[in-house]
Amino acid sequence: MENTAFNIEYKPRTGSEAMCEALLDEGVEYLFGYPGGAIMPFYHALPDYPLKHILTRHEQAAAHAADGYARATGRVGVCVATSGPGATNLVTGLATAQMDSVPLVAITGQVGRPAMGKDSFQETNVMGMTLPFTKHSFLVEDPDELYPAMRRAFEIARSGRPGPVLVDVPKDVQFGATNDNGYRRLREAPPPVESPGLERAAMLLRNAKRPLILAGHGVTLGGAEMELRLLAERTGIPVVTTLLGISAFPDDHPLYLGWPGMHGQASVNRAIDRSDLLFAVGMRFDDRITGAAHKFAPGAKIIHIDIDPSELGKVIKPTVGIAADAKAAMRSILGHLDNAPHEGGGCKQWREELAKSQEPERRRKESARDEYGPIQVMEAIKAAAGSDLRLVTDVGQHQMWAAQFFEFTKANSHITSGGLGTMGFALPAAMGVAFAYPEDPVWVIAGDGGIQMNIQELATIRDFGLNIKVAVLNNGYLGMVRQWQQFFHNRRYSETPITGPDYEQLTAAYGVAGRTVREGDDVEAAVRWAQEQDGCTILDFHIDPEANVYPMIPSGMSVNEMIEEDGA
Amino acid sequence: MPESATGVALNTIEVRFTGGMLALNRLLMTLQNKRMPVAGFTLGSDSDGMRATILLDCPPESALRYTALISALEDVREAGPAETIEVALIETSRDWRELAEQWGVEAHEDDGTVVASGEPDKVEAFLAAVGVEDAVRVGPLARPKSGGGI
Repeated sequence: MENTAFNIEYKPRTGSEAMCEALLDEGVEYLFGYPGGAIMPFYHALPDYPLKHILTRHEQAAAHAADGYARATGRVGVCVATSGPGATNLVTGLATAQMDSVPLVAITGQVGRPAMGKDSFQETNVMGMTLPFTKHSFLVEDPDELYPAMRRAFEIARSGRPGPVLVDVPKDVQFGATNDNGYRRLREAPPPVESPGLERAAMLLRNAKRPLILAGHGVTLGGAEMELRLLAERTGIPVVTTLLGISAFPDDHPLYLGWPGMHGQASVNRAIDRSDLLFAVGMRFDDRITGAAHKFAPGAKIIHIDIDPSELGKVIKPTVGIAADAKAAMRSILGHLDNAPHEGGGCKQWREELAKSQEPERRRKESARDEYGPIQVMEAIKAAAGSDLRLVTDVGQHQMWAAQFFEFTKANSHITSGGLGTMGFALPAAMGVAFAYPEDPVWVIAGDGGIQMNIQELATIRDFGLNIKVAVLNNGYLGMVRQWQQFFHNRRYSETPITGPDYEQLTAAYGVAGRTVREGDDVEAAVRWAQEQDGCTILDFHIDPEANVYPMIPSGMSVNEMIEEDGA
Repeated sequence: MPESATGVALNTIEVRFTGGMLALNRLLMTLQNKRMPVAGFTLGSDSDGMRATILLDCPPESALRYTALISALEDVREAGPAETIEVALIETSRDWRELAEQWGVEAHEDDGTVVASGEPDKVEAFLAAVGVEDAVRVGPLARPKSGGGI
């Protein structure tokens, strides 16, 4: 149709254009993706919109990059892939996001509707394939449904307990004309918090003698860091975090103890074992935290706050269970507490006992600073990068060392794949973090196994000039598996020795800088050099091949079976 | 004699959902993925969408948690506890009508077989009172409503 008065040609929008407009309306800035046959109409429309597309070198990396962006910003990350292998390559990234409750929208192209169900070229049932680890998914079979589908996808991804949402769009639907005349974003009202448990929780907090606050990822996801700090300071209760809760509470705060679990501090595990009240907020009692659940915190009453009601009682039966957003629940509990600090009772004595119990660990850490190894590397990075550092870790021994020995003082500055434990996560996730915060120093700590799983992203990093620094803790092994083989399989190192490239040559080939660091080299100087380079650098630290992570609570066991370092 | 009762408390959840086969697939995947102890599953549909009645072999607290999990699925409009009934097919030479009325059990005869249904404890009492010669117990099952699949 043509409007002759104003010489403006009106034409219906295509499905692809509708998708782009929906993304813009959602405030999306970056898309991480990889084009292919079935998503070509979308990529055809994309250049007409002010959306920044980051071409990764693998779809898995696109999902992790979107994940890193979402974790760092709290916004919904977006990744795009084509049908078939493009979609299957996203799967690990979606499962990673689902396990850690990260809001993602994944857009996949699908073969055209007439070709569906006929084993067509690059056809997969991506909906069926991803059902167990997406929060929801859409197969949009009508161009007019694209607006509402996109609207709902973003709403679902970020609401309640966040998670990944898949939008699968057949190619002909992307080409198709839409009749819908607009897209309006829906905003979710904050969930109401009304529970008799809140007052009871406040009462338990007031009366406990050996209480602990156990804060998880839900505190970061809910932006409840301030409420957590207020609650801790008001009550004087020490704080411990889960692995994903690290950096929800400043490490240098006098009430911060550390983190428990399989490789958490021994003193923190023992503190939980002795506690009489555990205030668990935004966490799900993962088996890496509890070990043998029936032996976990045996003398403690449990207050469990989680936005997902199905988490309450899943692993540990709470004394008080509250299904609520962490921020709203803690605000309400603060309202039930008196204004005066609750320093009385045994809590002060409890804090003193805990501080004393941490002395040996503090001394060990101090003495290890002079030895070449992971602790020295962490210390050097922290010193060179400063307090604005955002650290992204991969999965394995280095992940535990970083969590143990780094001091995170900036909120949400520790990003890692906790639930799924996805090797290869860190490098692409760091790209998302670097796009979100280009001014902040971003470091990756990875092992020599995991770094090779998405090493191709160095090309993406170089293309965009991302200032990502990488420390590879290279022990020539799949170190955590080797450690388990040492402890539980009689040192039978089956298929865990692993080789890698010469990182100096590899980085040169990719056009980024790299150095090898060995025992005897100046670690601080190497890290400073890396920090001062423009763009990406890789430091390949050759460390003791048989260095172990201590302590360790063997899987399914309790604090009583904890393995500690000799002399501990 | 009637077969002995299992002694297991079954909890019934009725789930109303839209979205057709994809939604059903997601529901089934969730049951399997979260290892819910499904002892029975019936499916029906009507103009409002689909209705699944799920019997869970678990304590009531776990059933509540599973209900919360199912409720969180986007396609699910409603999920909550439902009634269960016991259904028994019996042969008896006694006058079953009066006893059925007495125990509040619905019963009818079909080709010599008495089909009795009702709340599990009432059916239990009815069976004990009527003195059956042979019995096949179908339940407990979710109570069928409009569109039910039983």
